[in-house]
Amino acid sequence: MAARPLALAALLAAATLAPAGPARAERLIATLSGEVVSIASNFTGSQIAFFGAIERDAQSVPRPSTYEIVVVAEGPPVSAVTRQKRRTLGLWINRDSESYRLVPAFHAVLASSPFTEVADEATRARLGLGLDMLPLRREAGPTPPFRSAFEKAFLRLMQAEGRYFEAVDGVDFLTPTLFQGKLAFPANVPIGTYDIRFMLFQDGVKLAEESRRIEVAKVGFEQMMTRFSREHGYLYGLATVVMASLTGWLAGVIFRRD
Amino acid sequence: MDIYLPIAELSMNVFLLLAMGGAVGFISGLFGVGGGFLLTPLLIFTGIPSAVAVATVSSQIVASSASGALAYMRRKMIDFKLAGVLTASGVAGSYLGVWLFSVLRSLGQLDVVLSLAYVVFLGTIGALMLTEALRSIVAARRGRRPPAQRPGQHNWIHGLPLKIRFRRSRLYISALPVVGLGVAIGFLGALLGIGGGFIMVPALIYLLRVPTTIVVGTTLVQTFGTMAFATIMQAGTNRAVDAVLGLALMVGGVIGAQFGARVGQRLRGETLRALLGLLVLAVGIRFAVNLVLRPDEVFSVTTMSGEGL
Repeated sequence: MAARPLALAALLAAATLAPAGPARAERLIATLSGEVVSIASNFTGSQIAFFGAIERDAQSVPRPSTYEIVVVAEGPPVSAVTRQKRRTLGLWINRDSESYRLVPAFHAVLASSPFTEVADEATRARLGLGLDMLPLRREAGPTPPFRSAFEKAFLRLMQAEGRYFEAVDGVDFLTPTLFQGKLAFPANVPIGTYDIRFMLFQDGVKLAEESRRIEVAKVGFEQMMTRFSREHGYLYGLATVVMASLTGWLAGVIFRRD
Repeated sequence: MDIYLPIAELSMNVFLLLAMGGAVGFISGLFGVGGGFLLTPLLIFTGIPSAVAVATVSSQIVASSASGALAYMRRKMIDFKLAGVLTASGVAGSYLGVWLFSVLRSLGQLDVVLSLAYVVFLGTIGALMLTEALRSIVAARRGRRPPAQRPGQHNWIHGLPLKIRFRRSRLYISALPVVGLGVAIGFLGALLGIGGGFIMVPALIYLLRVPTTIVVGTTLVQTFGTMAFATIMQAGTNRAVDAVLGLALMVGGVIGAQFGARVGQRLRGETLRALLGLLVLAVGIRFAVNLVLRPDEVFSVTTMSGEGL
């Protein structure tokens, strides 16, 4: 039953994506400088470079307007709560809150031009493109999402933490069909699988999309320790206590004066 | 040199961590207290999530109390029966503390309860210590000796039932206040990330009349047992113990404590107590200011990543 409206929506979407006229056949090819961000003991953030090319097949009509590229990097979904402190009996205490289910723990949007030049508001709203269009409490729709004070604060704080960001000059064109850029991951980058989507726009229309995956993972000792602490919490606690006792005992032996 | 803290999930300068551990260790050696009540707030103020700070400091307290307890054990200045009763009840209190900690964390009220508790406890204890020390300083200046505590002096606590004999402390007292004290300290210790030595020592001396020579060693054994249990519980239920952070603090702490102890031997008892009281009071006031003044940012975000690696 649910398949029919979905199929209809897909058809409609396809219709808007491929406007009348000669069939477009742009192809987007993109690659990353690495597929793993490894977090080891000296991790203070990392960068992944991306490169891409736009290929036109022989039949497609060259147009005078330029191509635009938008790159969206999205981390694993998490649940989040925004809380607001209010003065209560003279003290500033968390009072009201708003929860979000399955929002990205990390969200970066890089574009080759300001968003207004890439696509119109309705298109961006539908694609959830840009932090102002990022769906938080409901699915992406045809109109820009309404932002409560909590959502605004959430976006502001996530940006302050370096977990959300957008850069309208984050993608550089080397030639009209070759582009490059860099994705920066801060030291507090969330662990998990990241989806990197490359989107090609022209005249406000999305022509092609290509996606890649990268893995942000703790490696070596950090991975071992985190896994151990998650899977065998009590045992990990016991090991910490043993380590602490040994440190204390050792200090007693080294500095013994009596 | 930055080091990545796997549980706190952020990187911090390793020398800063060693220095913080060292500074608090110095103070703890100087005054003969654990220093948890200083280290936990210090970590929170530098940006470590308060859950990780509280849980990790309990492991640091295990290290410092182990080293202290061993020294007192060599000098046979510990009442193991009293320490055993205090630890057993401390473990029960600690269990309650870790439970309340998880509940508050999920309600988003952990920070405010921590701040309030710090204000109340540090404020009260600090003010008491300071006035007591100042009074004895003034008395000493006037050439009068403060009234000495006579051992064997009785108070209402000695009228309670269920008496136990603690031979090493030469005490025959009701188990109720001992258990009550243990539970209370264990509870506060787990909830606030403090060893509680600065509450336990005066309580044992003034309330239970335990001989002063035995008090410190016995308290250290109790702190070690209770905090070891709290660390295991925090790791098991809240997954908030960062062993890398803990190790950096322990190493800094045990070294700092040695130097603190040397300086402490050259200062007078009243002066030490007055300084400690002032310090405790200052930390309490710092928390109070944070609670009362309008914060720069009234919103806060907590993310709960359900999935593992």
